[in-house]
Amino acid sequence: MQQSTLSTILNPIERDAGAQKLWVRRFIPALVMLMLLLFWQIVTMLEIYPAFIIPPPIDVAEKFYAVLLDGRLWLHTQATLSAVLSGLGVGVTLGLVLGYLIAKHPLLEDSLAPVIISLQSTPIVAYAPLLVIWFGSGPTSKVITSALIVFFPTLMNTVVGIRNVPRPLHDLMRALRASRWQTFTKLEVPAAMPVLIGGLKISATLAVIGAVVGEFISANAGLGFLITLARSQYDTALVIVAVITLAIIARILYWLVTLLERHVLAWQSRARTI
Amino acid sequence: MLRKFALLLLLLIIVVPGVSAQTPTDLTLFMTFIPNIQFAPVYVAIEKGHFSDAGVNLTIQHGDEPDGLNLIAAGELQFGVIGGEQVILARANERPVVYVYEWFQKFPVGVVAPSQNNIVTAADLKGRKVGIPGLFGASYTGIVALLAANGMTESDIQLDAIGFNAPEVVCLGGVEASVVYINNEPLQIQNRANAGQCGDTTAVNVISISDAADMVSNGLITNEATIAENPELVRNVVAAFDGGVQDSINNPASAYLFSALYVENLLTDEAFETALKTESAAQDEFLATNPDREAIAASRVALLERLSEQFDAETLVQFRVLLNTIDLWDADRLGYSELASWEVTAETLTTMGFLQTQTDLEAAFTNDFLPAE
Repeated sequence: MQQSTLSTILNPIERDAGAQKLWVRRFIPALVMLMLLLFWQIVTMLEIYPAFIIPPPIDVAEKFYAVLLDGRLWLHTQATLSAVLSGLGVGVTLGLVLGYLIAKHPLLEDSLAPVIISLQSTPIVAYAPLLVIWFGSGPTSKVITSALIVFFPTLMNTVVGIRNVPRPLHDLMRALRASRWQTFTKLEVPAAMPVLIGGLKISATLAVIGAVVGEFISANAGLGFLITLARSQYDTALVIVAVITLAIIARILYWLVTLLERHVLAWQSRARTI
Repeated sequence: MLRKFALLLLLLIIVVPGVSAQTPTDLTLFMTFIPNIQFAPVYVAIEKGHFSDAGVNLTIQHGDEPDGLNLIAAGELQFGVIGGEQVILARANERPVVYVYEWFQKFPVGVVAPSQNNIVTAADLKGRKVGIPGLFGASYTGIVALLAANGMTESDIQLDAIGFNAPEVVCLGGVEASVVYINNEPLQIQNRANAGQCGDTTAVNVISISDAADMVSNGLITNEATIAENPELVRNVVAAFDGGVQDSINNPASAYLFSALYVENLLTDEAFETALKTESAAQDEFLATNPDREAIAASRVALLERLSEQFDAETLVQFRVLLNTIDLWDADRLGYSELASWEVTAETLTTMGFLQTQTDLEAAFTNDFLPAE
């Protein structure tokens, strides 16, 4: 890895090839999206299914524009986004704290593992209706649904990240007489960060699923509610608009975590180029 | 030669109908929800051979209402049990479905409230927090119709989407009243109250929407293509369905026993099963005397009284749901649909903003396939 980076710096031809590759990598997602749209258009033109089952892209685009203009899309997006971000915040915080404690205290792992694993292996849709009964039909139940789905991957990645910090580095910190806080901030957090960020990437997309599941059970607003409403009104184009919006939210969240990753783990790429 | 030909012709006349009767049409009937006692007529029609007599080999498929309707509209399925308001909305959105049998003659949705909340009429709902499964479907249409019939709008009450959790949320005091299916949830809440598991609630009040507005409810639907290409099939399926409804109304004990073959946990008590078998046989004898509709209704009330003396509320809860539901099906002419109720439903949907275009309501339903009176 280091060698190829060095040779790219040294060789202008290879550097050009690298730039070209980067351009292709940036261009390919757009191309795939375009091909998907084209495929969708062809399917609707062939009338394999009636338009009320698969509406043409143009109908969906028109609907998108209409609900964007009348404010409905923003209203429901706001509700979902608020549940997603709150759920993500709560779930990640709890996952990090408990994950760290479990990584440090195996007894805690022994006591909590059965509960946590049972909770995780049960599909969220199975107990989401109970959350509505326990926490009410307001935003709290959606935030909790989202937080629960986010909690487990964060917890697991935290445990793995902290436990994978090489033993000799701990010995070194001890030899340097580092305090607990110094070991935590200067060694454990940076060393576990790549794994933690990996968990955050998964959590960010799962948070959207959690919030929408909550909205499917009971809600007066949100993109999950909009999908249910549109289905009950036989407005397939609106269902697709809501689904696309959810996909966009998930994509943006993922992109934000990637940006965070680049910022937080900049030291890694710097280390590779040395 | 002529004699041989005549013999062959005779043989064909005898054999061909026999062959077609031996190869019934495979058909899937879409129904919402999951297997439930409220679908008793379908189980009865299958078990008593109404569908097989009609040349139909029936399979049941459960799922979400909009999905089922879309499958029927697309011709992937041919028949389903769907709400009337869904048919209007679907037709307004280019789904060629037609309602051919009005199963529920009364709209099954209503409002339930613990008696201590002093909600007795629709007017008492003003300013109150009212739970609802969601702001869509029959529950939402129903509450809007009830409010409109009493000179109110949605803004006069606080609607709170609570999912299908009315008994729990009402008993926890999360809402003051809730929009429910009147044949089921009030009974569940009352049972909890009787067991002292519903807060301060000892009794419930029920406001029935069908008393305020005559709206179309669940019925049998098919698509325009099936009607055009195979009207005989539609007639046969409607007749079989009608047979199941009529038999369930006439002999609920028998209907319950048949339903237990499809719905889990209906018969947990052996003594209850034996009692139902005895009651079913007695009812068959009673029906042989050709009683009128009123006498049959009275026989159902008497049946419940007899069973209540022998069994506790817990054992009887699903049987009582069946009896409550039968009251919503029973009518002078089963399956018959009135244009007026379609107009009330469409008007409500327009008030809700769900229906923006004028819909040809007369094309949405037909009574043409009902069995002769």
